[in-house]
Amino acid sequence: MKKLITMVSAAALVAGLASAEPSGTFRQAHELGFGAQSSLDPISKGRVFQITEKIMSRLVRPGLDGKPEADLATSWEANEDATVWTFKLRHGITFHDGSTFEAADVVYSLNRVLDPESDSPARSAVKMITEVKALDDMTVQITLDTPFADMPLQLMDYRLRMLNEGSGDTIATTGNGTGPFKVETFDAEGTTVLVANPDYWEGAPGVARMEVIGIADGQARLQALLGGQIDMERGITAQQQVMLKGSDKFYVQVIPTGNWRGLVFRTDVEPFNDIRVRQAVRMVADREELVALVLGGEGIVACDAPVEPNDQYRADLSCPQDIEKAKALLAEAGYPDGIDIDVHVATLEPTWPTLAVAYQEQAAAAGIRVNVVQAPTDGYWSEVWMKKDVTATRWNERPADQAFHEIYLSNAKWNESYYKDEKFDAMLAEARRELDFEKRKAIYVAAQEHLLETSGTLIPYTVTRLVGVSSRVSNLDEVKNDAVRWHKITVD
Amino acid sequence: MLRMLLRRMFLGATTVVIVSMIIFAGVEMLPGDACTAFLEREAQGKLLENCREAQGLNRPAVERYIDWASSAVRGDLGISANGQKSIAELVGDRLANSLLLAACSLALGVPLAIFLGVVTGLWRDRPVDLILSTLTIFAMTIPEFVSATVLILVFSVWLGWLPGIVLTSASAPAAEFFPEIMLPVLVLTMVMTAHILRMVRSSVIEVMAGDYIQMATLKGVPYWRIVFRHALPNALLPAINVVALTIAWLLGGVVVIEVVFNYPGLGRMMIDAISDRDLPVVQAIALIVATVYVCVNLSADILTMIANPRLRTLHMRRG
Repeated sequence: MKKLITMVSAAALVAGLASAEPSGTFRQAHELGFGAQSSLDPISKGRVFQITEKIMSRLVRPGLDGKPEADLATSWEANEDATVWTFKLRHGITFHDGSTFEAADVVYSLNRVLDPESDSPARSAVKMITEVKALDDMTVQITLDTPFADMPLQLMDYRLRMLNEGSGDTIATTGNGTGPFKVETFDAEGTTVLVANPDYWEGAPGVARMEVIGIADGQARLQALLGGQIDMERGITAQQQVMLKGSDKFYVQVIPTGNWRGLVFRTDVEPFNDIRVRQAVRMVADREELVALVLGGEGIVACDAPVEPNDQYRADLSCPQDIEKAKALLAEAGYPDGIDIDVHVATLEPTWPTLAVAYQEQAAAAGIRVNVVQAPTDGYWSEVWMKKDVTATRWNERPADQAFHEIYLSNAKWNESYYKDEKFDAMLAEARRELDFEKRKAIYVAAQEHLLETSGTLIPYTVTRLVGVSSRVSNLDEVKNDAVRWHKITVD
Repeated sequence: MLRMLLRRMFLGATTVVIVSMIIFAGVEMLPGDACTAFLEREAQGKLLENCREAQGLNRPAVERYIDWASSAVRGDLGISANGQKSIAELVGDRLANSLLLAACSLALGVPLAIFLGVVTGLWRDRPVDLILSTLTIFAMTIPEFVSATVLILVFSVWLGWLPGIVLTSASAPAAEFFPEIMLPVLVLTMVMTAHILRMVRSSVIEVMAGDYIQMATLKGVPYWRIVFRHALPNALLPAINVVALTIAWLLGGVVVIEVVFNYPGLGRMMIDAISDRDLPVVQAIALIVATVYVCVNLSADILTMIANPRLRTLHMRRG
C-alpha cells in the first residue's frame, strides 16, 4: 500500500513537472552600450544588465511594490542604532556550476565591490559598509560606519549580485550565478544565449531559452520588434508607440520610473550663488507643459527632488510656474532687467535640446534670456558637465537617500551643482539614524522641501518607460526592469 | 606599362599613409579619449588614471602614431583598445561580412544594371526607357535609409516575408546570414543598379550613334550582330570604372545601411570604434578601406587598358 502511494505521488509529481516544463524562447535586445568591453561582471562598468539580471541574484530585491523583498537573504535585522545588520541566508541555493551558496560568497561579493582598487561604480551605493563578516555558514553580519536605517534598500542595487567565492577573475565571461537562467554562450555583440536553470529556488522558469541580442541602434531595435525578431523592447518612445498600439500583435506597458532629466545651475558661480536667482530660474518652468512638449506626455512632474514617483519617501510637492514671483525675485537679487544664461546641451540625450528650447520659451517671460549651446556629444561628461555654469543632466533612478548622498551632499562624488548646505547634510545624517519609518519619512520629506527651496537643479519630470511587448509573451511583470521576475515569463 | 604600374602603386601607398595620418590626427582632435568615452561621467580620479595607464594614453600622440605605424608595417595591427582582442581577428570577421554583402549585391546588381542599361540605351525614348529611367532617378535620389526603412516596413513588418534586422553575430559563417542579408542586399542593389544603369545607357547611346555603327548598318550587318559584336564591347568599357568605384563604396561606405540593418560589417565597426575612441581599430579600418579604394581603382585602370589598346600607348603618362 505504502509503495502504491509512493508510486502515485511520484507519478503526480512527474505530471506536475511535465506541465511546468520550461518551453519556448524569449528574445530581447540590449543597447551594446559598451561595445567590445561588455562584460558579465555585474559590478564592472561594461556589465550588460539585461543579462546579469537574469543569471544572478541579490540578497534583497525590490518587490512589485518597490519595497525590499527577500531574495538570497531570507530575513534581516539591525541593532539599535542601525550600524550593524545581520542577514540570514537562504538554504539550499546552488550556483550554476554546482557549488553551494554560503556566507563566504556574500562576504566575497560585497568585499569585491568595496575594494578601492577595483573602484567599481557600484561602490558608492554601499560605501558605508566597513566590514562584512560570516557569523556562520548561513549568517552574515554587515557593519557600517554610520547609522543607516535603510541598508536593505541599498542592497537592492541592480549591480550587487552574489558571486561564488573566488570567481572574480572569470565572472566576466562565465556569468556563474544563482539566477533563473544560465549562460550558454556569451556574445555581447551578437546573440547571448541563456538556458533555464531547473534548480532555481523559486522553481523552474517558464521559458526554456532566452536570447539577448546586441543591437546598438534604437530604430533597429524597434524594427526588430515590429518584424517579430525580438519579443520585448524596453525603450519605446512616445512617438514610436503609435506603431505598436494599432496592432494586436503587440501590447505596451507603461511604467513610471525615477529616471530624471534636468538642468543644472552651478550654485558656486554668479548669479546662481544667490538663492533667489536659483529659485527664479526654476520657478519659470511650466512642468506640465515640459512633459507634454518634451516627452509627448509620457512623464510625471517632479519638483526638483530626485525621488521617483512611487518611492516610499516621495514628498507631495507642488511647484507651479510663477512668472511674476520669478521677476520679483530677480529684481530683489539685483537683476531687474533679467539675466542672460548659456544652457549647454548635447544630443547625447535626445530630449535635451527639446527641453532646453522649451525652457527657453518659458523663461523668456520672466526676463531670463536663454541661449542654447549645442555641445558635442563626445566628451560632454568630461568637458561640459560640472564645468560650464548651466548644463543639462540625466540620471537613472536610485533610492532617495542614495541620490541625495551621491549628487546633493556637500562632499558628494557627483555634486553637479556644487550644492553646499549644512542644514541639508544634517538632515540626511539624521534620517539615516532614525529607525522609525514614519519619523524617517518626515525627515526625507523635509529634505525634499528644502531642495525645492534652495537647490540649483531644475528637475521638471521623471520619465515614464514604455515597454513594447509581443503578444506571444505572457506574465511579464508590469514593473521596472529591476523588479521583473524573469522566471515567470512564458511564451506561446 | 610596367613603369606606370610601379608609379601608380607607389602613389597608392603614399595615399594610404597620408590617410592614416589624417585619420589619426582627426580622432586625436575630437574631445575626449578612449577612457572618457568608456567611463562617461565616472571619468575622474583613480578610475580614469588606471584606464589611461592601461591603454598607454599618457604618452604623446606622435609617439603613439609612430608605434602603431611601425607595427602596422610589419602586419601587426595591434590590440583593440577596448576589448583587448586582436584587431586582425576583429576586423577580419567584419571584413568578411562586408565582402559577403558586397559580393551578393554585385552578383545581383551588376548583371541587372548592365542588362537594363543596354535595354534602355537601345530602346531610347521608348516607354521601357522612360519607365526605367524614371525609376532609376527615384532609386538614386531617395536616401538609402529611407528606402531601407520602407522595405523593412513592407517586407518585414507588413508581409512578414523577410527578417528586418540582421541578428547573426559577426563571427558566424556566411551561410547563417541568409535570409537576413536579403533586405540590405536589395537596398544596395537598388542604389547601385541605378548608377551603373545610367552610365551604361548613355554610353550605349553614344556608341550606337558612332560612325562605324552607321557604316556597319549601311553594309547590311544584321542589327543584333552590330549590337553584340561592335557596340557592346565598346559601350561597356566605361562601366568598368563605375563598377570598381561601387566595389570600394560597398566595402567601406555603406555605413548607413549597416546601421539601419544592424549588419556587422566594416562600416558599422568604424562608427562604433570612433565613438569609443578605439584608435587602433579606427586606424586599421581606415587602412583597409583606403587600400581597397587604391587597389580597386588601380585594377580598374589596368582592366580598361587591357580592353582598350589605345590607352596603353596614348595615355600612358596620364596615370
